[in-house]
Amino acid sequence: MLRSTSQTPPRKIEDLLDSRLIASLTGLDISSRKIFAGKLQGERRSKKRGQSVEFADHRQYVSGDDLRRIDWNIFGRLDRLFLKLFLEEEDLSLHLVLDASGSGATGEPNKYRFMQKAAMSLGYIGLVNLNRVAATIIGGAHAPDDRAPADADARDDSSLIEGGLSSIRDLRGRRRTQDLSRFMCSVVPGGSANFKDAARRIVLQRRGKGVMVVFSDFFMKDGYEEGLRLLVGRGYDVFCVQVLSPQEIEPPITGDLRLRDIEDADMAEVTISAPLLKRYKENLAAYCGQLQLFCARREITLLTVRSDTEVQTLLLDYMRKRGLLT
Amino acid sequence: MTFLTPLLAGIAAAIAVPSLVILYFLKLRREDVEVSTTLLWKKSIQDLQANAPFQRLRKNLLLLLQLLILAAALFALAQPQFASLTAGSNRQIIMIDRSASMQSTDESDGKGGYASRLDAAKKQAKAIVDALREPSFFDPGGGDQAMVIAFDSTAEVRQQFTTDKRLLRDSIDAITASDAPTALGEAMRLAKAHAPVRRYVDDRDGAVRVLEGVSGGEPVTMQLWSDGRLPDADKAAPGLEDSLVFHRVGSMESENVGLVGLRAERAFDDPAKLSIYVAVQSTAKTPRSVDVELTIDDNIVGVKSVDLPAAEMSQLTAAGAPPTGTPSDNSPAGTTPAASSSTPAAAKPRPIPKGNGVVFSLDRREGAVAQVRLLTAPRGAEASAGRPTDALAADDRGWLVIPPAKKLSVAVVTRGNLFLSTALGGLPLAKLDTLSPDDFERRVRSGKTGEYDVMVLDGVLPSATTDAPINPSTGLPPGRYLVMNASPAPAIVDRGKAPSSGIVDWVRDHPTLRYVSLDNLMIAESRIVDISPGSGGKALVLSDRGPAVVELASADSRAIVIPFDVAQSTWPFDVSFVVFLASSVNYLGDTAASTGQTSRMVQTGGTLSDRLASGASDARIEVPGGERFSLAASPDGQVAFAPVRSAGIYRIRWDGAAAATDESSGGSPSRAYAANLLDAQESDTTPDDQVVLASRTVQAAQGGPASGQRKLWPWLILAGLCIMMLEWFIYNRKVYV
Repeated sequence: MLRSTSQTPPRKIEDLLDSRLIASLTGLDISSRKIFAGKLQGERRSKKRGQSVEFADHRQYVSGDDLRRIDWNIFGRLDRLFLKLFLEEEDLSLHLVLDASGSGATGEPNKYRFMQKAAMSLGYIGLVNLNRVAATIIGGAHAPDDRAPADADARDDSSLIEGGLSSIRDLRGRRRTQDLSRFMCSVVPGGSANFKDAARRIVLQRRGKGVMVVFSDFFMKDGYEEGLRLLVGRGYDVFCVQVLSPQEIEPPITGDLRLRDIEDADMAEVTISAPLLKRYKENLAAYCGQLQLFCARREITLLTVRSDTEVQTLLLDYMRKRGLLT
Repeated sequence: MTFLTPLLAGIAAAIAVPSLVILYFLKLRREDVEVSTTLLWKKSIQDLQANAPFQRLRKNLLLLLQLLILAAALFALAQPQFASLTAGSNRQIIMIDRSASMQSTDESDGKGGYASRLDAAKKQAKAIVDALREPSFFDPGGGDQAMVIAFDSTAEVRQQFTTDKRLLRDSIDAITASDAPTALGEAMRLAKAHAPVRRYVDDRDGAVRVLEGVSGGEPVTMQLWSDGRLPDADKAAPGLEDSLVFHRVGSMESENVGLVGLRAERAFDDPAKLSIYVAVQSTAKTPRSVDVELTIDDNIVGVKSVDLPAAEMSQLTAAGAPPTGTPSDNSPAGTTPAASSSTPAAAKPRPIPKGNGVVFSLDRREGAVAQVRLLTAPRGAEASAGRPTDALAADDRGWLVIPPAKKLSVAVVTRGNLFLSTALGGLPLAKLDTLSPDDFERRVRSGKTGEYDVMVLDGVLPSATTDAPINPSTGLPPGRYLVMNASPAPAIVDRGKAPSSGIVDWVRDHPTLRYVSLDNLMIAESRIVDISPGSGGKALVLSDRGPAVVELASADSRAIVIPFDVAQSTWPFDVSFVVFLASSVNYLGDTAASTGQTSRMVQTGGTLSDRLASGASDARIEVPGGERFSLAASPDGQVAFAPVRSAGIYRIRWDGAAAATDESSGGSPSRAYAANLLDAQESDTTPDDQVVLASRTVQAAQGGPASGQRKLWPWLILAGLCIMMLEWFIYNRKVYV
């Protein structure tokens, strides 16, 4: 709700992933309800038959097949050439999408920080399990240089990321963890993001299918429906994590106020009163309900979490239950 | 409704109301808060506004309420009052009758009992005071002023004109009833005295003249509380522009039995035979009988019943007919005091009180203090009636101071006069001494003449050379003298002898001449005398040669002078000489006689004056309540005490010589006086509905004093506070509903 008081953006991987979190993440893997074709051999079952230890089927030999795969035992019994097919294990593409619009800068704890942590954790899991990990940040601004001290208010529009989209892709393996975290730290929330355009561009740039996790508060003035529809329509298994700050759920404000939208400087003059607060909460619940309904209709798994939730809880509890992590 | 400070409120309104409205047009300064999105908020506001139809009105409602509060405050600032007084004048004179009849307990006290008329009058007067317009907060000189006058036979200003209601109320509360009769005249004079005299400039000579009978200044409203028994009302006239509101107190139904006459007499031939005459009157419409109890020196010596006839209803009389009769005319027993009591013009028939008398006869030589009491407690069937059978208790008791049988000490200063000593010898005197002129001279010089009540100077005058305190106007030392065959200078100028003369006229009602006829008196050798003007001398008897008997009076002496030699006239052979001598000695020796009243009796409301022994000092009087006042005695022992408010026994003590009749206790002589109301007018307690003044007839005001002239500003402030609470509540509802 309110702009976070501690605005120090994370700089290092340690800011996003501490050792305790890493420890709790070992053994987790990304899963998908759908089975996608991977590109590289990975640890995931693929639709393709391929090299693995797991037997899948037999088929008749046709010329050109690898002789090494002929089931000689069958040949011995039936005197016919059969190929032994195994289930192919492939990698899984994990696409993390973060909404770095200005509203992420609010909340205590900071909403974007929470998104960063959660996304980083997921990305780490993906990298460790040899999945292809991509990350896209919608909107946002360049993180201030280390040399110039952070001054959130002094940021001007020129620091906003041009095109409203920054991404990193095809990360694989534990060694790329640093790259992912550097990417994550390179963007701070700011400005307003056009979710629909961003979604279209993500879809156009996509390489293969996979699991997509979208972190946002989904408070989008021009609607989230188009964007989500685009994302899900291109075959992603989409997970949405709606991050709300506790201040958005229980506004700690009273009196005669002029509320300024942190993204587009839109003003709303309110006199906080009990009926207004009640009405706000009802509206919030309705908004979330609508999002939930929308997602449910399109097989999008929606998780609404408060930004003061522990990342472990999110990952080990909520996401496991939703089947994103195994 | 009137506003005391409308202009001020108007100015304040002109400033405050636009200010408030302008304040309302100013935008609320809101605190800026950054939020993640205004999406939900805007939606909420829209929802709320859509759901609350009066949302827009609410702000205006607050403005409206604030305007109401402001209006209340501004109205309070204007200090509105309810105008309620009937009279337009803002100067009120509150005149409260406190005479004896106002003690009648026939007014309701509001609790089912009876209250005195005075209490009722005070209550109504205080209501008038409450109803006065207050001086406005910003103009302390404004507002209604009132003055308080309490009157019985005399009047006094209890409170000068003021706007201070507390002072007025206190002064009204402080009025207590007296036992004196009523007289409106002095009160009216006092009330009129406060109006400035109206002057005008005469065009003819430019002189400033006073307009007779017209007073200046603002007209006043006189608020008179009385029971209407105002015998001299027809001589009183309020100012032409003044209005008089008469508030009648008392119930027409009240009945009263009262003493109206009381008198003690000793038989001339046997002074031990004492008769006490008691006159009683009743205003009851039914015959009744009351017991009269006589107490002498605190011992009941007799109770007699007296039958009182029913009072007759008067016929309608012409309005404006002046009352007749004198209230002090105490009828002796047997006559009806009602016959002499006045019947003021009354619009309604009123009961004319009827009276009866009773006589107590007893043998008593000594002096005594007698008390007569009417036992008016209801008896038998009367007791069952709820109303008090006697409205006024003050006239149920009377006191008499009966002097001892023998009276005076007389000294005759003579060179030998057979007629004189023979005539005086037959009088019932305490002491009769014959002094030689030398003796007399000695006594005058040493100031020891106080031993004798009266000195008869036969051809002797104190020599002018003596250093005795001789009054320069009468030529006599302090004391009482019957001077014969001499003319004290310079009061009487002796112009020499004259041939014989006859008596032309005499003052027939003078106490000394009341029972004598001087028709046959011939003076063989008269003296031509003149009374020097300014000496206070008065001719009692006129012969054809000028004054034949002269009374001289000054502050310290009184003398009856017979300038001619009675031996050279036919008077000593006439019985009138002895009667005259006796009356003169009695008259001179007893000052009370000179006022025409029973000795040592004074009417309440009057002045108690008497002559103590010459040279009396340190005189003090004890009044019935037990209070003591000191009196200043003049050189010849004359003292006066006024006003005599309550009935009862007054006792004067002094240091010095005692007269023969005086009691003596602890070395200092004392003398008792009885103060009685004994006024048929006052005892006739039936109130009158109108007051007939010299200039107009005023009917009793109906419905009591107007209630009102309430100050409204406290209520307005209260209303403002209530609205403020409502406004606060509504403002908070906006937040907490």
